[in-house]
Amino acid sequence: MRIARKRRIADRGFTIALACCGLLALIPLISVVWTTASRGLRRLDWDFFTQSMRGITGAGGGALHAITGTLLITFAATLIAVPIAIGTALWLVEYAAGSTSPVIRALARTVRAVIDVMAGIPSIVAGLFMYAVIAVTVGPGYRSGLAGAMALVIIMVPVVERSGEEVLARVPSELHEAALALGVPKWRMILKVVLPTALPGLVSTLLLGVSRIIGETAPLLLVAGFTDSMNYDLTDGRMVSLPVYVYSQWQNKGVDAAAYDDRAWTAALVLLAGVVLLHGLARLVVRRRNQTR
Amino acid sequence: MKYDKSVKSLLAVIAVAASLLLTACSASNETPNGTPPVSDTGTPKVSGTLNLGGSSAQTAAQTTWRAGFQDANAAANVNYDPVGSGAGRTGFADGAYAMAGTDDAFKISDIASSDFKLCVAGTGIVELPVYISPIAVAYNLPGVTNLNLDAATTAGIFAGAITKWNDPAIVALNAGTTLPELTITAVHRSDKSGTTGNFTDYLSDAAASVWTFGRSETWPESLGGEAAEKTQGMRQAIEAANGAIGYLDASQASGLGMARLMVRGNAVAPVAEAAAKALAGSQLEPGRDDADLVFDINRVPTDASAYPLIMVSYLVACQQYQDGTTAELVKAYVSHVVSREGQAAAAGDAGSVSLWEDAALQRRVGEAAASIR
Repeated sequence: MRIARKRRIADRGFTIALACCGLLALIPLISVVWTTASRGLRRLDWDFFTQSMRGITGAGGGALHAITGTLLITFAATLIAVPIAIGTALWLVEYAAGSTSPVIRALARTVRAVIDVMAGIPSIVAGLFMYAVIAVTVGPGYRSGLAGAMALVIIMVPVVERSGEEVLARVPSELHEAALALGVPKWRMILKVVLPTALPGLVSTLLLGVSRIIGETAPLLLVAGFTDSMNYDLTDGRMVSLPVYVYSQWQNKGVDAAAYDDRAWTAALVLLAGVVLLHGLARLVVRRRNQTR
Repeated sequence: MKYDKSVKSLLAVIAVAASLLLTACSASNETPNGTPPVSDTGTPKVSGTLNLGGSSAQTAAQTTWRAGFQDANAAANVNYDPVGSGAGRTGFADGAYAMAGTDDAFKISDIASSDFKLCVAGTGIVELPVYISPIAVAYNLPGVTNLNLDAATTAGIFAGAITKWNDPAIVALNAGTTLPELTITAVHRSDKSGTTGNFTDYLSDAAASVWTFGRSETWPESLGGEAAEKTQGMRQAIEAANGAIGYLDASQASGLGMARLMVRGNAVAPVAEAAAKALAGSQLEPGRDDADLVFDINRVPTDASAYPLIMVSYLVACQQYQDGTTAELVKAYVSHVVSREGQAAAAGDAGSVSLWEDAALQRRVGEAAASIR
């Protein structure tokens, strides 16, 4: 009796301690969301989504240029990073894993190691790398959306590759074997069987990769720069994104500093909402996959 | 396969929404291109992008100038990176910035030895004093709305010799004000800063016996106190600490207490008129080119209503650019900056002194601006 009671108390105590940890982890999160929402609502108006900062000195203005900039840069980065990342993952899972050649196995090990290292690189280093590349090749003052996207590619590839590899490895080997037994060439089997089966997982991988880079500030600050005006051209001229917009509104205040603060908070709120939306989408995709199983 | 469709349709929806968003929007505050090539004032319009960088103290004024210039020239873009004066000068020399904004002019020896990438070799540079502004000694002392300081006391505070707000030296200058027995937190800039340069210049000229550290853009390492980065960091540090004191461009100090400085027995507030008087009592540095207008600021003015802790911030351009398009843009922008409207707008928004207050200076600056090719 006494032993059982002791056990129960210990178990209860342990549960409570862990629950407290969970609650503690929630506190900063709730605080961030609450602060951003309460301060960001002040400027969450029509103008914010229909105006840029061109010609704005105090109050007013918006972040349309930053929103389009974020969408364009993120889209370009995704377009470049995803084929590289998924291609690498496919090669590692479908070809290198089953290979008997010591050269290929060594190469695969090296690729994995490099990607692991890349995943740990601070984003500012990716930015500095692109900055150095630009300074050497184009000139020190060059800034463009595409350069920003390239810096984000460096951050995005390892994220998408690692989780893509996991998703691809989970494609049942029976499906492989069935396809191969029917005489389908390997490349067709990958395109017609492996990729479609893994698609939902790959989509949520992609969305997580996007939400990883959409909030990046430092690399874009270095290589995409900031500007007041709309710019739809990724290859020509500076392009501002939402995180950089938040930074520049806070750091480079004009007179009537409160107006700059308000815009920064609202932009942060919009960005937060975007990331939450992306995560929600990713969860939705994963849940649907589980339901169809 | 049912599932595939739902994912595909989801992706399709995202793609359509994104492309709609991107194509449908043009900012309602921007005029589309294709407007007539002449502005209201009859000057020909320019187009293209101009990237400038430098002094963070000029931020507010540059925002105003850029807004005015871009309103008049719908196809022109001007960007200003407030990276700090030092980085601005380096960026200009390296060719990253077409012009630099700097609180400290290039030294004569530096001009001779530098290779300005965008300029035609051997043509020199143009330095225009476009932003003249008082630097405020700002403090956070609840209940104290008026505070008088002189150069020696200020130097004592920042050198760490005066540590309490009710120090006899401060009390003596503030008869009738009750000062608390509170520790003074002296805040300085952690980054290389033109504001620090002007502040230390004032202290070493006006209180040489107390301030023995000379003039420096970086804060003397041997001194203590709290460090803050850039103008906004300084502002936040002062706001955050009861008993804090620091120095920053007066345009960025609104809402904080701003000390009056004693000049020949008179307490002078950091306002534009008083700054203009200090500038009027200062001379241009000799030995420079005609278009290289650099002030040697007199920190001990003879006029008792002049505020000596001022900053003269420059816009630096090539005398002759290698690229004709850049030259045209630079010229157009500079002429807007030094125009009566441009200077008045900056005075209104950033509390600076308009060049047009001083007819002789305005004429010289105008001539120098016009000499850019």
